[in-house]
This record gives sequence, structure tokens and C-alpha cells, in this order.
Amino acid sequence: MIEAIGSGLAALLTPQALLFLFIGVIYGLVIGILPGLGGVVAMALLLPFTYGFETAATLALLLGAHIATIWGDSVTSILFSVPGSAKGLALCFDGYPMTKQGKAKRALAASATGALMGGIIGAIFLALCIPLIRPVILALGPSEYLMMALWGLTVIATFSEGSLMKGLTASVLGVLVAFIGMDVVTATPRFTFGSEFLMDGISFPVAMIGLFAVSEMMKMSIRGTPIIDRSLVREDSTVWQGICDAVGHWWLVIRSSLLGLWIGVLPGVGASVAGLAAYAQAAQTSKTPERFGKGAVEGVIAPDATMGANEGGGLMPTLAFGIPGGESMAILLVAFIGLGVVPGPEMLTKNLDLVFSMVWIIVLANIAVTVIGLGITPWLARLPSLQANLMVPIVLSVCFVGAYATRGRIEDVVVAAVFGVVGYLMDKYRYSRANFVIGMVLAVMIERNLHISLNLYGNDFLLDRPIALAMLLFVVFTAALPFLRSWRRRRAAGRGA
Amino acid sequence: MTRGTQENMISVLLLAVFGGVLWLCQDFGPRARLIPQPLAVFGIALTLIQLVWHNMGRDTAPAMEMISVDAGAIPGDGEGRPREERTQEQLGRWGEAGAFCIVALLLALVFTTGIFPAVFLFTAGYLVLSGYCTPLRGLAYSVVMTLAIYLLFVGGLEMQPYHGLLGAWFR
Repeated sequence: MIEAIGSGLAALLTPQALLFLFIGVIYGLVIGILPGLGGVVAMALLLPFTYGFETAATLALLLGAHIATIWGDSVTSILFSVPGSAKGLALCFDGYPMTKQGKAKRALAASATGALMGGIIGAIFLALCIPLIRPVILALGPSEYLMMALWGLTVIATFSEGSLMKGLTASVLGVLVAFIGMDVVTATPRFTFGSEFLMDGISFPVAMIGLFAVSEMMKMSIRGTPIIDRSLVREDSTVWQGICDAVGHWWLVIRSSLLGLWIGVLPGVGASVAGLAAYAQAAQTSKTPERFGKGAVEGVIAPDATMGANEGGGLMPTLAFGIPGGESMAILLVAFIGLGVVPGPEMLTKNLDLVFSMVWIIVLANIAVTVIGLGITPWLARLPSLQANLMVPIVLSVCFVGAYATRGRIEDVVVAAVFGVVGYLMDKYRYSRANFVIGMVLAVMIERNLHISLNLYGNDFLLDRPIALAMLLFVVFTAALPFLRSWRRRRAAGRGA
Repeated sequence: MTRGTQENMISVLLLAVFGGVLWLCQDFGPRARLIPQPLAVFGIALTLIQLVWHNMGRDTAPAMEMISVDAGAIPGDGEGRPREERTQEQLGRWGEAGAFCIVALLLALVFTTGIFPAVFLFTAGYLVLSGYCTPLRGLAYSVVMTLAIYLLFVGGLEMQPYHGLLGAWFR
């Protein structure tokens, strides 16, 4: 194994591989910052350029670009509350309030350092877990995935902009919107009103562009002031503070990284769920959860560490079983075929050096992203203080072009505009947009796994799956936890009075 | 119109949406409506509770420890009122209508002129009419921005541009 680790690194230390890694990282950062375009688009567009080069160089280009998009997503979430893709949503909760408080540099630096630490921890644990993880993955089935998705939904109870009823209503709406289109299980068109466009469903990135970016620009055009008025709020944080924050919260980083690795290992769960789960665990385990949502740096570090580690985890099922951990890993599979590499159990025996090359790519790409990210942070932090009259037309235009570019369908521009208005109204009347998005993310996963569980194990599937039953108990516990905490605090306050 | 009336209107709108979902679910098979139907019922129940709660003057949630996301905490805001209330005061009715019009205008431009001419016209118009810069500068900024977006999306990402109704007519 030590030999494979060494030869995996040696394969990357060629001029071509290093150059490709650098190009991939720069390209990924640009794509990540554009609304609606994430790692999947970045990798898909690079595919035609991957033939005829060294295997390690090709993988460095693809994985480097993909990893860089993660931090690119975080940048727009932190600075503008506009997630580049679903992964960056959790960064809006605390990153954006930090920007508004004049701590953009600190937030961006904490995010980049958190992602680096998460990426390295994820890669190390991946290397250690390669021989152990196979039986664990095989022990989990659709019932367990259903429970994981349900856990994600119960997290919704923790997120709210005010009224719990409104928060839950928003999440119900989000789940229902995700059901628009052809039902993958029964092939029934649902809520499509005979529209061919709606048969494909509402594109998730387009909905995000509308809900967050378009609605924020509407608000900004009404206010007529920039996100940060420098005459009122000075940028008084430093990049160094952010680095220290991430290093100081090392235990949170380790926990979040392991969570990200674990979610990445599970096929089909994805980094968007990972980011939200990391945020929820950071809030739930914090001694001061009331700071979350108001600019707590832990709310920035945890999702980024998780997403950094998630990529390493996603490689595991892709390499070991040929089952992609997510959409980006599916594209990596296509690249493998082009390179003549056959994923499967043999990858972990005969091609172990290639596996370790990818582990090294994750580490090196994360280092490159962080170095570049920390270098450009002072300039990025100035963006939120740009005049509203300059920001609104530019961002709105990029949003509409980005919405169109997502699937090349002009109807998506209408969807972005409609969701922009919906997002504006939700914000005005305090229906949580975050809950809406969480509902959308988890809806398909819940429905698909419920149907498969019912088909495989019948109506009493929980009795047949003890792991799923244990997970259900955990879900009930975490759902009750906020109520219990609140009750205990009120009781303690009552005693104090 | 008072805030309370607006809240009630939103609740009624939500009831109509959930009711519509429930009605549409009747056409689906039992498997296809397994989740949407009970969810719609849950949505109706939640909205009714919210409606009653709100009109009883109890607009707070049942006691639990919640995380208030996107709260927009800005130092120096010590007035103790919710952010939305202050924003409401700042917003004129015209400002809000203007924001809706801006989005509708850009959408209309995209459909009529195509995506990149729309970006150019919208940016130039906004920069000049908002008084951000002089007409000449506005045009220059818009040309640069439209070119940058074009190169990025069409040159770099190989996006096929939409040409709009006018484009189709010219062809």
C-alpha cells in the first residue's frame, strides 16, 4: 500500500499533470462563481479535452476543476447570499450575515481553510478506509437511505426565519415543487399541465438562481443601496482571522469532514445534502446555537469542511463498484471509460496506484484552491460594496444567461424569473427560502427510496431492516432535541426567576 | 392594505395551491400520489393553523430552539424591530412595483431580442436611467459586459444562444 501511495504521487509530479491541475483549478473557480453552473457542468465541458493525455493529467484536470467549483460556490453564497449551486446553500446562512457585518474576508478565509482541512482529512481517511468500507456500503439499502433523507427533513425544524408553521409550509411547498415532472417510479406526469417542458421537472439550479439571486437583486433595486454601505459598516476583519478560526475549530472540522466523507461514500446522496447536514450538526452540537444564522463562523467552516471531504468519499463507490456517488462522479466514470480504466473491485487491488493518484489530486487541488482563494480574498471582499445600480443589471443579466445555459432552454429563464418573484414574496412574508430548498433537495430521494423499500421489503420494511429502525429512532431523537432544549432552558429560567 | 391583510391573502393563496395539488392528485395512481397527497393535506392543515394563529394575534411559533437563517444582522441596528418591518417602511409601493417591472422587462427583452442583445440593452438602460453613469459610459460598460458574458458562455462554455422573436423574424 505504501508503494501505491508513492507511485500515485509520482504519477502526478509530471509537468503535464501539474499544469492540468492548475488549469483545472482556475477554470473551476470561474465556473463555480457563475450562478447555476457547478462541478457537473465544469467536468462535462472538460470531457472532450481529456483524450490523448496522461491518465494522471486527465484526472488532475477533471478533479481539480470539480474541487475548485466547490469553493467558487461558497464565494457567491458568502458575499451575495447567491449560492452558485445547491452545495453552497448552507454557506448563505452564516456567511452572508458575516459579510453584512464587515467580516467578508474572515468568512472567505475560514471557508477556504475549512475546505482545505476537510479535503485533506477526507483524503487521509479515504486512504485508510479503502480496505474497510466495502462491507459497510453493502450493508446499507434504500430503507437506510430513506431514513437519512428523513433525518435531513427533520433538520428543517431547526431552520426557520420566525414562525415554525411558515417554515414547515415552505418545506412542504419545496417538496411538492420537486414532484413537478415525470414521476421516475410510476412514469406518471405530475403537475405538468400538459407542458412538455415541465415533464423534465423544475431544474434545481434554476430554481436556486431565482429564489436567491433574482430575489436579492429585486430587494437591492428597491433599497438602492449596496449589500454593505461602507459608510456604516467597515470591513474590519482579516484573512488571518479566518485561517485561525478554521484551525481553532479543529474538532468541528474533523467531525464535519468525517460526516462529509460518510455522505460522499453513500451513492446518490450528494454534496448538497452534506453541506446542510454539516450545518445542522454544527448548530445542534454547539453550546451557543442561538448565534447560528447571525454570522457564526462555525456555520461557514462546517459546511465547507464537509464538502471538501465529500469528494474523497464520492470516489469510493465510483472506484470500488462503478456506482457513482453523485452526478460529477458519473462524469468521472465516463472519463474512465475514455481512458480505458474499468472501475470495480480490481481498482482497489490491481490499480491501487491510480486510486492513490486521485487521493493526491484531491489534496493538491485543495491546497491550490486555498492558496489562490486566500490570495484573492481581499479583492473578493470588496464586491459587496459595489453600487446597487451597477450590481443589479450585471447580476440579473448573468443570472438569466446562467439559467438559460443550465439546460439550453429558454423556458428556464421564465422559471428563474417566477422563482425570483416567489423568493421575494417568501422573504417579505418570512416563509423560509432555505426550508423550501431543503424540501426540494430531499423530496426525490425520499420518494424513490420509499418506493424501493416498499417493493423490496413490503409495508413493514422497518421491521426487516434493524439498521433503518435504529436510524429512525435517531431521527426521532434529533427532531425532538430542539424542543427538549427549549423546554429545559425555559425550566431553568423559571427556576432562576 | 395592512400587513395582516397581506398575510391573510398569502395564506388564502397557499390554501388554493395546496387544494389544487390535492385535486390534481385524484388523477394519479395510488403510487404516484403516495407522498404528494398527504403532503398537500399537511400543507392545508399548516396554513389553516397559521391563519387562525395569525388572526388571533399569536404570530409566534410553538416554543422550540430555532435557528434564524438569513437574518441580516447588521451592527448598529438597535431599534429592536424586525428587519422586515424596517424594510417595509423603506420600500415605497412604487419601489416594489418597479422591482417586479425590472424582472418582467428583462424577461420581455430576452424573448423579443434574444439573450445577448437583451443583456446589452438592459444593462445600458439600467446604468443610464438609474443615473449611475453618463450615456456614453453606460454604453461602453454594457458593451464590455455583454462581450465578457458572451465570451464566457458561448466561447468558453459552448452555449447555443437564444435569438428571440426578432432573431427568428430576421432569419
